[in-house]
Amino acid sequence: MSKPIYELVDELPTGGVTVMALKSLDFVIPGQWQNLTGFNKTIQTVTGETDPAMIQQIGERAVALFNDKSQGYQRAHWLYQTVDSASGALGAAAMANKIGQDISFLGFLDRLTPKPEKAQSIDLTIKLVTELVAFCQINGIPGDSIGDFLGALGDYSGESLMRMAALVCFDGLIPLGPDFIQKGTATIQGLSPKELEQNQTFKGVSDLIPGNNSEGKLNFIGESFDSVKGWMGSFVASNSLTQDKVIDNLTKFVDVTKDKLDYLGAFLDIAVKYYAHTGTQTLARRLIERAVAEL
Amino acid sequence: MFLPRWRNALAALLLSTLLFTTACSKADDSPYAQVQEETTQKGAPAAVDKNAEQGSSFNKFFPSSAQGYDVVFVQEKKGFAEAKLKQNGKDVGMLSISDTTSLPSAAQKYQASTEKLSGYPVLEIGATQTGLLVSDRYQVKALTRDPSFTKENRRAWLQKFDLTGLSKLK
Repeated sequence: MSKPIYELVDELPTGGVTVMALKSLDFVIPGQWQNLTGFNKTIQTVTGETDPAMIQQIGERAVALFNDKSQGYQRAHWLYQTVDSASGALGAAAMANKIGQDISFLGFLDRLTPKPEKAQSIDLTIKLVTELVAFCQINGIPGDSIGDFLGALGDYSGESLMRMAALVCFDGLIPLGPDFIQKGTATIQGLSPKELEQNQTFKGVSDLIPGNNSEGKLNFIGESFDSVKGWMGSFVASNSLTQDKVIDNLTKFVDVTKDKLDYLGAFLDIAVKYYAHTGTQTLARRLIERAVAEL
Repeated sequence: MFLPRWRNALAALLLSTLLFTTACSKADDSPYAQVQEETTQKGAPAAVDKNAEQGSSFNKFFPSSAQGYDVVFVQEKKGFAEAKLKQNGKDVGMLSISDTTSLPSAAQKYQASTEKLSGYPVLEIGATQTGLLVSDRYQVKALTRDPSFTKENRRAWLQKFDLTGLSKLK
């Protein structure tokens, strides 16, 4: 059983590395992400309703919907959490002490291992597929519908758009450079099902990726990445995004240095849980939209 | 120096009591603690009725994009379908159809309605919503998401739904 949805939203941090790293991306999508936290505040902001009794009613319906497992919301939450924790392999104990504080990149350097490019590429594609599957769990379109996802991707805004921006910047550009899309494609094409099975991130979420076996799942991952390539490429081009630009902005918000690029990717994996954070925000928004409409 | 056995047992009891009470006290003060309990205990009723209509059945009754507004489908779940209304790329409103089988109180409130829209009982709900009820079962709503989308706009868009078609849904 998951934590209650109101607790998840109430406990969203207002500061710390994840929040600061996301704020550093504001230059890409100005004003789109406001770091909405707090369950009642989210209800008010999403619906525009201010009457406390109405807010309570909406909150109760949202809680009930989240707790109905058949509706897929808990699965979506699990996906967002798991893909973030699976990709960062440092012990929870080491991080727990530092969450909410200024994490010093240099202070952690000796505990970081640069992730091989292949593993980074696989992570990128799995995170993308996770977004697709979570989207379908939340919004109810059957999990195989890449076409619908593409249509909705064009409409992504707010915390969902921020999550995609962070995927491109933190899981694409920074660890893999400007050719991250080609690298993702090449890695998937050259990957065997067995190799996929050994990937930590894949292991975390494989149960919910469509496909009867690893080969089937690998095909789905490849098709999904292929379909979203265009969007990612346009996103980079239309915002003139470069690795340098992203890192430059990041250094203004998070205590990291540019000259240890290999380690920066690993550090972001460990310290920036943007999927879980923005995923909770997206989930809360959708639940609340449905709750208020159904009442 | 070891504690006598009974003191060991007492220490264990006190420690577990302390852990138990600190663990339990957290959930109690949320205004949602009660509904959380009610919807997670064994045998809790599902939020969505198993006989609720599939959301996919509702899509065809939604209005189409028109007059500078885009209708973009965003949710389709059991008993629920929703679309965003966008104007010049900005979210201005939401349109939805829901099956009140899952939430009877949603239908019951229309008993207090004193006016009709397109022949169906209509209500202003909260500060941002207009709803109507079709066949005593399907609630059609228009919700404001930007102040520019007024009550008049909501009513106009409600009338654009294929309400007759929806009324024939069995």
